[in-house]
Amino acid sequence: MKNAVEFVNVSLNFGGVKALDDISFEVKEGSLFSIIGPNGAGKTSVFNCVNGIYRPTSGEIKIYDQEIADLKPDKIANLGVSRTFQNIELFENMTTLDNILIGAHKHINYGPVTSMLRTKKVKNQEDEARDIAEDVIDFLEIEEHRFSYILSLPYGIQKRIELGRALAMKPKVLLLDEPAAGMNNEETEDIARFILDIHEELGVTIILVDHDMNMVMDIATDVIVMDFGKKLFSGSPSDAAKDQSVIEAYLGVSD
Amino acid sequence: MSKRPDLFTSYQKEISIFPNNTQKFWFVTLLLSSIYICFIASDYWIILITNALLVSIAAWGLNIVSGLAGQINLAHGVFVGIGTYTSAVLGGVATRSVIGFEMDLLIWLPLSGIVAALIGVLISPIAVRLKGLNLGLVTLAFVFIGSHFFSNLTFITGGSGLGRKSAKLNILGIDFNSGYEIGNFLIQKNQILYLISLLVTVLLGLGVKNLVRSKTGRAFAAIRDRDIAAEALGINLFKYKATALAISCFYGGVAGALLTTTFGGVEPGTFNLLYSILFIAIVIIGGAGTVLGPLFGAFFYVLFPAIIQYVVLSSNLSEQDLLITPQQIERIIFGLFIILFLIFEPRGLWGIWFRLRNYFKAWPFSY
Ligand SMILES: Nc1ncnc2c1ncn2[C@@H]1O[C@H](COP(=O)(O)OP(=O)(O)OP(=O)(O)O)[C@@H](O)[C@H]1O
Ligand SMILES: [Mg+2]
Repeated sequence: MKNAVEFVNVSLNFGGVKALDDISFEVKEGSLFSIIGPNGAGKTSVFNCVNGIYRPTSGEIKIYDQEIADLKPDKIANLGVSRTFQNIELFENMTTLDNILIGAHKHINYGPVTSMLRTKKVKNQEDEARDIAEDVIDFLEIEEHRFSYILSLPYGIQKRIELGRALAMKPKVLLLDEPAAGMNNEETEDIARFILDIHEELGVTIILVDHDMNMVMDIATDVIVMDFGKKLFSGSPSDAAKDQSVIEAYLGVSD
Repeated sequence: MSKRPDLFTSYQKEISIFPNNTQKFWFVTLLLSSIYICFIASDYWIILITNALLVSIAAWGLNIVSGLAGQINLAHGVFVGIGTYTSAVLGGVATRSVIGFEMDLLIWLPLSGIVAALIGVLISPIAVRLKGLNLGLVTLAFVFIGSHFFSNLTFITGGSGLGRKSAKLNILGIDFNSGYEIGNFLIQKNQILYLISLLVTVLLGLGVKNLVRSKTGRAFAAIRDRDIAAEALGINLFKYKATALAISCFYGGVAGALLTTTFGGVEPGTFNLLYSILFIAIVIIGGAGTVLGPLFGAFFYVLFPAIIQYVVLSSNLSEQDLLITPQQIERIIFGLFIILFLIFEPRGLWGIWFRLRNYFKAWPFSY
């Protein structure tokens, strides 16, 4: 099976801090791959490297076998990588619909001058983009918030909309940074259900970072455990729960 | 039971300019009366309104790069200047000191915008890599570089203190410079310029409206609000920032060309820092990032002094009685407005209009 994402001996330093310390792993196409680890372990740094916000100090990152060292984030997005952020990064002064339409940006291909002339092509493509957005809105059950401004919506819904914006890109690989953070049990279950649906129905490869061990154990197909920028463990979720070094480093700390 | 007017049937209808007939009616009424005005108003008012329309176009330009795409530009006036001189060279008359090619308006008007846009594209590699204060400083440098060129390229600009004449008004080979007779009805040059400005304002205004409800406009707003997220969604920051600057310069250039033609001539000192800042003030007062805001801001800026002057003159007070001149009153009030809007109504005059409109929409059931 193909590798969707591959890290080969990746290190990332910030001054003296080793955010990532010689990390290697492979995310198989079609897996629901989870990265867990205590605060400051380097999980978000992995995401920032995958989508080109950070450049690794050394090592190689490949997306579908393509080295991404000199690609900017927008080019990496065009390879089919989409993400959500740990701290919601929605466009707060816009509506839900506009946020999701921006997610569909790369499916629209008319240029700026055509934009201003609003030709038939623009209208047709805007209709298509709107269809994509409406599918996402349906899928995530956020119809009632379609025209609401983000600022006026509760946190849990905002998280869901950010997931929707990432989905509107129709990604091949979806990076989810703590999608259930700050949510109650019911909301966490909703999100877990959406993630499973995205994985199974839409066939998207997912990399999931979360602190909620129960959720990760329930839905992930593969897990790596990180601490202080190092990879401690990689394998199946059930093995991770039994692994001594994982229990010490992670489970011991979190509770 | 009456139909619900707000119930839309298609996506396109939802984002159309005139979602209902009332709005269409008001637009057509306003347009027709705008045309009518130029046949009844005095020259003074015709020139004033022409000026306001053209300042709106320039302000729309600045609003695209700063209000929509969030990139500060202290040098917008320089691009207005570039449009001005493109038109004056292409459409003006050669003299012993300046060049001129007496071309048709249909050539010099679009080219004024295009040349300004090209120069915008030329400097964009520097501008797109910067943001915030650094971008502000670099654009400030453009003002000084621009001023330097304007005062030294005397074969184009006529040089400081002297200046040059504007483009001639020839359209499709017809000479409109001393008016035009249709039957025994004489239409003046001012009236023609007014009508051209009105047409260009409507077209470029539509352009702005179309822009904001397109992929491009959404990408601008995304970059303005969160550039990192925008980039992660596949938006090429450099490309869209350069695009915003180019469109902005195009508007500035077109406005500059027609403004100078309305005034008949121009002196290079016009395009100083204050001139650029003026457009920033107009956008803020009108409502940054909104479609109609710059239009409101421009009309306010142009008509407000005229109204103050009118009030002062008709009050029979002399300047000695007032201690300050009408110009000073006007500056003070204008400055005060900028501060008040920044603090109390960031959406400017448009924000006030928006609330009034919603109030009257619901009238008599105000809730
Ligand atoms: N831009 C940056 N500049 C300096 N240090 C950074 C930067 N980004 C991350 N770090 C450091 O790198 C380390 C890993 O951070 P990272 O955000 O990847 O951890 P994390 O596993 O996502 O933690 P959390 O669970 O708290 O989100 C931390 O020590 C952090 O302080
Ligand atoms: Mg993190």
